[in-house]
Amino acid sequence: MAVRIRLKRMGAHKAPFYRVVVSNSRSPRDGRFIEEIGTYNPVAQPAQVTIDEEKALKWLQTGAQASDTVRDLLSKAGVLKKFHELKQQK
Amino acid sequence: MTTHEPDALAKTTRINLLFDFYEPLLTEKQRTFLKYYFHDDYSLGEIAAESGISRQAVYEHVKRAEQVLEGYEAKLNLLTKHEAMQRLAAGLERQVAELPIDHTFKQRLLDDIEQLTKTEITCVTEVTNHGGI
Repeated sequence: MAVRIRLKRMGAHKAPFYRVVVSNSRSPRDGRFIEEIGTYNPVAQPAQVTIDEEKALKWLQTGAQASDTVRDLLSKAGVLKKFHELKQQK
Repeated sequence: MTTHEPDALAKTTRINLLFDFYEPLLTEKQRTFLKYYFHDDYSLGEIAAESGISRQAVYEHVKRAEQVLEGYEAKLNLLTKHEAMQRLAAGLERQVAELPIDHTFKQRLLDDIEQLTKTEITCVTEVTNHGGI
C-alpha cells in the first residue's frame, strides 16, 4: 500500500490551519494517520511553516509520495533540495 | 502527476477560505469533492478510486465547484471584505496596545475591537445562510 504525505485541514472556521501528515493511500477519511511531520499556518502574516526535517527525509527516502501541496511546502522549506542531494550521494 | 499546479499551496489556501464563506450555497456533491480534494488533500486518482468514477469526472467536479466558489466571491466579495476587516482590526489592536492609557480602559478598547470582528463574521453567516442569491 502506498504511503502518502499530505496536508490535513484543521483549525477554526475562516482560520484554516494545516497539519502535514503521513498516511496510507487507502485509509478512509476518518482522520487516522501514521505520523505528523509538520504544520502550516497560512493565516499568520507571513505564513508559518514548521517541518520536522529528519522525519520528512526519512519518509521520502522510504518512498512516501508527497502531494502537490506538500511538495510545495517541502520545497519552500528546503527539504526537497536536501532529499535530492542525499539521493545523489548514493 | 500530470496536472501539477504551479502553486498548489496558494490555491488550496484560497479555495478552503472561500469554502468557509460559501459552503451553505454549494450542493452536497460539490461539498464532498471539495472536501476530499482541498481539506484532506487526496489526489484525483484516490478520490476516483474511492467514489467509483473516473479520474476525469472527479477533475470536472472539482473544477466546476471551484468556479462556483469564485463566482460567488466575484459577486459578494465576502472573503476580500473579511480580510480587509482582519487587517484593520490587527492594525487598531497594535495602535491601542501602544497608547499610554490606563490598563482597564485599554482592555475595554481591545475587547470592543474583538467584538467588531465577530459582528462582521456573524452577519456574513446570516447572509450565506439565506442562500437565495
